[in-house]
Amino acid sequence: MRRLTRRQRTASLVLCVLALCFITLDLGGTSLRSAHSGVRGVLGSLYRGTDAMLGPARRFVQGIPSAGTNQTRIQALRHENAQLEARLNAAAADRSTQAQLAKLQLAADTGQYRVLPARVLALGPGQGFDWTVTLDQGTAAGVRVGQTVTDGAGLVGRILHADARTSVVLLGADPGSGVGVRDLRTGQIGVATGRGSAGFVFVPLDPSAKIQVGDQLVTGPVGSTSYIPGLAVGTVSSVRTSVDGTTRAQVGPATSATSLDLVGVILVGGDAVSPRVAVAPSGTVAQR
Amino acid sequence: MSLLRAVAAIAAMITAFLIQATVIDPFTVTVAVSLPAVVVAAVALVDGPAAGMSFGFTAGLLADLGSTHPAGVLALTWTGLGVLCGVAAQRRSVRGDAGVAAVCCALAAVFAGLVLGVVHGDGAVVWQAIRDGVPAGVGDLMLAVLVVPVVRAFLRSEALRARHPAFTELNVARHG
Repeated sequence: MRRLTRRQRTASLVLCVLALCFITLDLGGTSLRSAHSGVRGVLGSLYRGTDAMLGPARRFVQGIPSAGTNQTRIQALRHENAQLEARLNAAAADRSTQAQLAKLQLAADTGQYRVLPARVLALGPGQGFDWTVTLDQGTAAGVRVGQTVTDGAGLVGRILHADARTSVVLLGADPGSGVGVRDLRTGQIGVATGRGSAGFVFVPLDPSAKIQVGDQLVTGPVGSTSYIPGLAVGTVSSVRTSVDGTTRAQVGPATSATSLDLVGVILVGGDAVSPRVAVAPSGTVAQR
Repeated sequence: MSLLRAVAAIAAMITAFLIQATVIDPFTVTVAVSLPAVVVAAVALVDGPAAGMSFGFTAGLLADLGSTHPAGVLALTWTGLGVLCGVAAQRRSVRGDAGVAAVCCALAAVFAGLVLGVVHGDGAVVWQAIRDGVPAGVGDLMLAVLVVPVVRAFLRSEALRARHPAFTELNVARHG
């Protein structure tokens, strides 16, 4: 075992203090935001180029375990099944609010969103760091911070940063992140907190809410959530009621955070102008 | 530090980040295997603590600024990793150095988890970091077996040799 010289000890102490100063600065304010944005933009462009070279080989290797089996077909059927379930969920939601929908002339309006297809270029480190993925579409294609990302059937996450050609998505399953959700069966709203690959933990706002295993959760209006409502978040897999009466439910995710490839950015929300036609009283002209 | 060594260090950092994000991360989502950390450890094991800490700090800060967590977390962690591997440098075989690099990288991953847990006030992150320390070490070992010989070969080449490497030709002659 070697010993550090006095100069090396001093240098290591200075670097550690410097790192702690950076942590304090970044936690305390926005002074490093430009530096973050610049480095992310450069690395995002480099990820894009590298993925163009290595991506096909990586996807080929990732497909080897399922080669020669029905795994691909099973995945396709599962995806189709998830889409059909999402339609059923939407239908269930429509039934429960049919009267209001008829009055507001908004039946089946979810198809009016513009969805921008985007490919996942790189994954964040996870393991205590934020669960993020980098997409190959950015502000040049209309992506804005805060927009919701879906895989076609369920919630993936929201845009955290967007550069001209790439954007970073904070996954809904990010540990510590919260998603405002609604239980489709009971209509109860609450917060689903991310638990990484384990899915979510759902806590209804009403402690006496009767949550059951199998309940479907969709994004809903809680707090300052910026997600598009009605996207499948997951299915309740277990329910636990503590001695103080608080109900907590474990939720299996509707989308797998670890197998994302092609996703869609819903070009509504964030800083974007909503393409949805505003609801107007009968007899007047609807305005955007 | 010569200009050539500085350029080589920057190239090594960026290459490690790109391979980590586009190749390694998609295959190791549930385990914190880190190629840049292994490169930092390998550099420190060849060139000693001074090179290790400066390379670790720079690479860590660049990784921090390119991520969404607070800047400084990986800079602090990989500075420590560079110092630890630098002082642990012995004239070992490639497999011996790979083992040391893997253990140090696993410790660094746990430390980074502890720092993030403290920063975010989230005990679950700390527990997860401790739980994943061993699998991360196994993954780092697999990377280190490939990375250590390459880094050794580069840093012992005539163009990139340090002015004061951890082991000089005189040491080699004496121990040999």
